[in-house]
Amino acid sequence: MDDSDENGDVIDEDYVEECEEDYSDPEDFVDDITDEELLGDLLRKRPKETDGVESCIVVDNIPQVGQDRLEKLQMVLRKIFSKFGKIVNEFYPKENGKTMGYVFFEYGNPNSAREAVKMTKGYKLDKLHTFEVNLLTDFDKYSNIPEDWEPPEPQLYKDPGNLRHWLMDNDCHDQYSVIHDGGDRTCIFLNTPLEPRMLEERAKWTETYVRWSPLGTYLATFHQRGIALWGGENFRQIMKFSHSGVHLIDFSPCEKYLVTFSPLPDNKDDPQAIIIWDLRTGIKKRGFHCEKDSVWPIFKWSHDGKYLARMSPDTLSVYETPSFALLDKKSLKVTNLKDFSWSPSDNIIVYWVPEDNNVPARVVLLEMPSRKELRVKNLFSVADIKMFWQKTGDYLSVKVDRYAKSRKDDKGEVKFAGMYYNFEIFHIREKQIPVDVVELKEPIIAFAWEPVGSKFAVIHGESTRITVSFYTVKSDNQVSLFKSLEKRQANHLFWSPQGQFCVLAGLRGLGGVLEFVDTNDVTVMNGVQHDLATDVEWDPTGRYVISAVSWWTCREDTGYWLWSFQGKLMQRHAIDRFCQVLWRPRPPTLLTKDHMKEIKKNLKKYAAGFDLKDKMTQSKASKELIEKRQELMKEFNDYRKKCHDIYESLADQREELRKGQVDEQESEDLEEETIEFFIKEEEIIIDSE
Amino acid sequence: MKPLMLHGHERSVTQIKYNREGDLLFSCSKDTEPNVWWSLNGERLGTFKGHTGACWCIDVKWDTSSVITGSADNTVRVWDCKTGACLHKVDVNTAVRSCGFSYSGNLIMYSTDKTMGKECTINLYDLRDAAQMKNNEPLLTMLVSGSKVTSAIWASMDETIVSGHENGDVCKWDIKTGSIVKTVREHSKNVVDLQMNEDQSMFITASKDNHAKLFDLATLDLLKSYKTERPVNSASISPIKPHVVLGGGQEAMDVTTTSTRHGKFDARLYHMVFEEEFARVKGHFGPINSLAFNPDGKSYSSGGEDGYIRVNTFDPHYFEFEFEF
Repeated sequence: MDDSDENGDVIDEDYVEECEEDYSDPEDFVDDITDEELLGDLLRKRPKETDGVESCIVVDNIPQVGQDRLEKLQMVLRKIFSKFGKIVNEFYPKENGKTMGYVFFEYGNPNSAREAVKMTKGYKLDKLHTFEVNLLTDFDKYSNIPEDWEPPEPQLYKDPGNLRHWLMDNDCHDQYSVIHDGGDRTCIFLNTPLEPRMLEERAKWTETYVRWSPLGTYLATFHQRGIALWGGENFRQIMKFSHSGVHLIDFSPCEKYLVTFSPLPDNKDDPQAIIIWDLRTGIKKRGFHCEKDSVWPIFKWSHDGKYLARMSPDTLSVYETPSFALLDKKSLKVTNLKDFSWSPSDNIIVYWVPEDNNVPARVVLLEMPSRKELRVKNLFSVADIKMFWQKTGDYLSVKVDRYAKSRKDDKGEVKFAGMYYNFEIFHIREKQIPVDVVELKEPIIAFAWEPVGSKFAVIHGESTRITVSFYTVKSDNQVSLFKSLEKRQANHLFWSPQGQFCVLAGLRGLGGVLEFVDTNDVTVMNGVQHDLATDVEWDPTGRYVISAVSWWTCREDTGYWLWSFQGKLMQRHAIDRFCQVLWRPRPPTLLTKDHMKEIKKNLKKYAAGFDLKDKMTQSKASKELIEKRQELMKEFNDYRKKCHDIYESLADQREELRKGQVDEQESEDLEEETIEFFIKEEEIIIDSE
Repeated sequence: MKPLMLHGHERSVTQIKYNREGDLLFSCSKDTEPNVWWSLNGERLGTFKGHTGACWCIDVKWDTSSVITGSADNTVRVWDCKTGACLHKVDVNTAVRSCGFSYSGNLIMYSTDKTMGKECTINLYDLRDAAQMKNNEPLLTMLVSGSKVTSAIWASMDETIVSGHENGDVCKWDIKTGSIVKTVREHSKNVVDLQMNEDQSMFITASKDNHAKLFDLATLDLLKSYKTERPVNSASISPIKPHVVLGGGQEAMDVTTTSTRHGKFDARLYHMVFEEEFARVKGHFGPINSLAFNPDGKSYSSGGEDGYIRVNTFDPHYFEFEFEF
């Protein structure tokens, strides 16, 4: 500090008086205080040339227009960009009277500018113009790149190994995952005959449950901090997706994308509830908010993974990959939209809307991306609708719950009376998509299409009188009842992935009754029971069925049983605190239809070879078992011999303790004792005559 | 073969035992009156009357001259088997959970509960000295400091006692020193039953942890383990075949909430060496509380929570059946 300041502290009154008269500097005074020291805080607030730069954005790739259409362009752009804050200034550079394809906007504050950049980057104005939006300050940042800047090393490609390794198994055994020990341990088993072979066991592999990807390539494990995917030969980690509190996931059918959902409180500006990831790179593609009362999967994928759609009140939004932008930039307005689903083989969406006053309920088939209505079906007296696609997309069954009467009760809730039910069968492959109707008077408990083929099965009736009916769709498109099985204990239907065979299951409340049905002639091949079974799952080839009792729903007798498709019990595994079993899916076969036909024709030839192989494994296994038993027996017999020697040596002591007892060995010739029992007394009166 | 159903008890059967010859079957139940039956035809021979509380345990002397019972009426009684007269009565300060005659039949043993501030003890009397019982002066009292005794038997000769405990421990006591010789922990829950094999070199435990286990008596080494899905209440070793039979089922208190099938009240036969189950015997509609092989090995009996005793005689098929090895 300089002198004047120090003097200021020790001012005496005389000095003050002197000073009052003259404020001017003495002649020899040199002003050595900089402006910065005096009013630095003010100076810092002084307007600068670059001020407002942070609030400016540059929008590239806008249409180049002449003066005549400039006003229209300005209107459009203002509408888009004023959503993020007040635009205080705009500037369209021109050349030869035409705009140059970019524009500057200045907002009232930098926050609006940042928001605008985030939200409009990649905005598609039309087919030719996709916005590129940047902050003006970014230009400084990018132009002032230090000279010694080095481009980042390209990340080396990490070879995940052969992700299809599991399909190379010589005997084509399938794999399945098992979670047990109350969730602490997860294993992968190979479904080998007699006993499954454990391929992998890890403690705390997942925190909740696991899921296989739809083609079986990846195993997803759930953790508080996100999802991990495992695969390849030794189940190495392939990818991680960090999503705190992740709860539910869904793969795209092509295994290219992963959708994750977390119920944790969402960030308003940066949607985090639902995240879509690129599965191979691990890059987050887009985040979405989640609305209340949504049903998982919120996003439904088209069969080829090209589109995904979600439903919100009165709107159906279809997004396209890989941009994850709204298809054609707008959602479909569908008033009162209740539910929708994609065809499993074509880009067709079916949705339905309920009745509204005098307007009938409608089921609409919509082609994507053209949005062409392929078929509309009007329906009256509709209480509820459920839609079931056949797996090859040939048929769609719409279950309609209809009512004879409806009224509103005191609480304003609609009550229905005189319910009856029908199925509207849509023949998708036919011209103009004709619809057949199957009517049923009884409540429907379950419905399922044969995955391959043209049959479907329905469980219907009241809880005491349950019927399972099989219907066929004939080549002339007539739907007819094939056969019914009456008085069954079933509430679930499980078709073999190959069709023809079907398991009727009475799960949970019905005590685990399982019936294996051959639907060619609808005969029950075997009726069995797995007490308290909670789950039934076919293996991907349709050769085996697993029934399971999960610790998540039942505290006792947990474990899983393995059945052949004919209902023969193959293996029984009682596992403490067993939680979940899941077959590893297989990708679709590479064989052509002709190939398959040929194999079917020559089945006998192939079967002989396999039978021989089975026999050999079996005899090998039984040989091993016998060897093991022999060893155990030998060991035990040695032990028993020692015991016997000791026993012999103690004979005297025993005699001492039990005087008078004859040792058993010495008294082989026991006296035979005849005991007579009074069994029955019978009085017969002999006729005296 | 059709089993004999002995229905003489009004409440759950708690323990059954054969005499050495196997012609008589002794049973006790919660209804206070122990019974004795002809094992051959299931006819009741007689009843021991006197207890005023549930009877938990019963044992018979090697020569079938006397019977000992322990009850929740806080008494241990020794009966004359022939006449049914009560020979001795010992007043105890808690319920009696297990009792037994020594090999010679000269000594008796019983264990008491750890309740109402009373310590769990194992007590011994010498029957040859009548004064001991009369004056309630045991020959030996062994204080059980840890987990309470849930089952106890006389082990080799008149020298040792084996006890099963609430925490799953199995202990061997030397009565000369009155202290524990060895403790093993192979079970995780109550060991509720202990039974010796015919030459007294091994014993089998039954535990609420769903397992029965075979031990060497001298060393307490674990030999074999038999796993089920339900608590095991009793296990017995066949005297003629390498087989063991296990009985139990869903806990009595949970039974009302489940069906009979779900309760798994079947008796299960296991191969003693391979630890593999090979047969089940249905019948009881409550858990089995006690099982015993007839000393001739041709039948076994089970007493259940349902109050019935079932005498099951093996079919010829049973004797023909052999494990392949």
